[in-house]
Amino acid sequence: MRGMRASIGAALAVLALYGGLIASLFWFFDGGVFLGTLFSERTLFSVRLSLLAATAATVAALLLAIPAAYALSRHRFPGREAAETVLELPLIVSPAALGAIILIFFNNPVGEWIQENVTYFVFGFAGIVLAQFVTVLGVAVRMLEAAFDQVPVELETVARTLGASPRHAFFTITLPLAWRGLVAAFILTWAKALGEFGATLMVAGSMAMRTETLPIAIFMRLSSADIKGTVVLILILVAIGLAALFAARRILGRAAHA
Amino acid sequence: MLEIEALGARAGGFRLAGVSLTVEPGECHAVLGPSGSGKSTLLAAVLGTLPVVEGRVRLAGQDITRLPVERRHLGYVPQHLGLFPHLSVADNLSYSARARRIAETEYRPLLDRLTEITGIGALLHRRIGTLSGGERQRVALVRALAANPRLVLLDEPFTALNASLRRELWALLKDLQRERGLTVMIVTHDLTEAYVLADHITVLIDGRQEQSGDKRTVFRRPASLAVAHFLGLKNLFPATVTATGEGQIEADVPGLGARVRLPGEAPVGMAIHVGIRPEDVALRDDAHPPRPGEWVVRGRARLIDLGADALLQVEPCTGGPRVELTASWRTLHRFGLGQERTEVTIALPEAEMFWVGGPAPAAEPGQGPIAPWTRGGE
Repeated sequence: MRGMRASIGAALAVLALYGGLIASLFWFFDGGVFLGTLFSERTLFSVRLSLLAATAATVAALLLAIPAAYALSRHRFPGREAAETVLELPLIVSPAALGAIILIFFNNPVGEWIQENVTYFVFGFAGIVLAQFVTVLGVAVRMLEAAFDQVPVELETVARTLGASPRHAFFTITLPLAWRGLVAAFILTWAKALGEFGATLMVAGSMAMRTETLPIAIFMRLSSADIKGTVVLILILVAIGLAALFAARRILGRAAHA
Repeated sequence: MLEIEALGARAGGFRLAGVSLTVEPGECHAVLGPSGSGKSTLLAAVLGTLPVVEGRVRLAGQDITRLPVERRHLGYVPQHLGLFPHLSVADNLSYSARARRIAETEYRPLLDRLTEITGIGALLHRRIGTLSGGERQRVALVRALAANPRLVLLDEPFTALNASLRRELWALLKDLQRERGLTVMIVTHDLTEAYVLADHITVLIDGRQEQSGDKRTVFRRPASLAVAHFLGLKNLFPATVTATGEGQIEADVPGLGARVRLPGEAPVGMAIHVGIRPEDVALRDDAHPPRPGEWVVRGRARLIDLGADALLQVEPCTGGPRVELTASWRTLHRFGLGQERTEVTIALPEAEMFWVGGPAPAAEPGQGPIAPWTRGGE
């Protein structure tokens, strides 16, 4: 009983820590500044840029992550262990270091050729998307792999004995059974991309009204000692992030009880 | 219908080698073996989900060794049935027709007939999650058969059911097999299930094919000590071949104090085991005297109630190994038996004995000299 009370106390302490930190923002809350900042052209640009870049990075990550996660979930192949290990890279290497790696890559001959002949990444929208893509890809693959693991291989085998091609079995059996996991992976990957800062700063820099995503805008406002404006941007980011996480929890919760 | 020739396959660190068997059209062939014997590996190789590293698989004369799963036209019911939980029963049943783009007019008559035989008509609009264990089995079976497969593969599909439901589904499968002329290969570790359903049996042990043949032969004449042990036979007595010729061997069985003549050929001096099934051991008394060709001994019996039958574990008064026999209660009452411990006379008919190759007999510690058994009719 005492142990249970202690663990419940710990859980409430976690809630109090994060809740308290967010609540402390309201010390600097100013209604006039809030409305002025919220509807300013610069803030709207940041919100729009963040939503667009996070969505593009998430879609690109999922397009690669879905087949990769399926292969990792279903097949044993040379290099599988190495691929599984590399997926942890964004977790153990800081986003700033990942961004630095991307920046350095675009300074070698292959990177320069890509910049000249494909698209220009450094200090542009493509750079923001790439930085977020690299940061979230590992997480996306991990989550999708877990979603595919939940679907027994046996079902695909049965579908194939019933005449379905591997592709037909994937689209009619595996994907419908894993869809909640896929949606949850999309939302969490998107939320992580939305809050990405370090890699974006390294690759795209911090240029107002150009590469100013919400986290970059927070950094820039704080650097210029605009605390009240910073609070507004933080609240916007927190609201969007919490809404995404809430949606993911609802979907995962329903999947667990399905 | 199905011919497997010297098949070899690997699954992780496990290796299945040299399996050859034939399943004739319309027959049921059981692949029997303990856990880890290679049954599922063999099934996966026939299904096409595991690459064959050596040998060939032919179905209706066509080499399907390298054919993708979906082009083999096999029906498959796995252990956990593999029903699609997001589809209704009706959608599960018509999945094959939709995957193969077959018109409803073509597949509907067979599906309707199967639905009628198995009595699942009322379930068509139900979700899979709402079905009972027996209903799920029927749906899985009908779904596999509705695709009109050339061969039906069953991977221990009745394991999770209670005894009564299992017997009911065995009967249903037999009915379906008779009516549709199905060719079936079933993988199981259940001896009764294999005996009830199969015409022929292949026994796999440790990735090797130990025996293949008519079910009665496999059960009554196991081909090796490993098969005899797997079949649960306890009456196995170490012996040595003393003479051979004219399709017969003569073997010295020290445990029985007997010298027996059995069909077969083996070199003189070879270590073997002589065995007999417990139901072939007979009770004898003055009203039922020993017959010629029987090895007879008196012993103290311990009775174990098996329900309809009883198991007698008899310790011979001459010493030597214990002999087990099974008999109905009616038989036991005829011999005035029924107490927990009692003295009986038992007879081992030489004609029912079999022999298998085995390691040299080891002397059992503390076992004194064994007096010879008497031979009936002498």
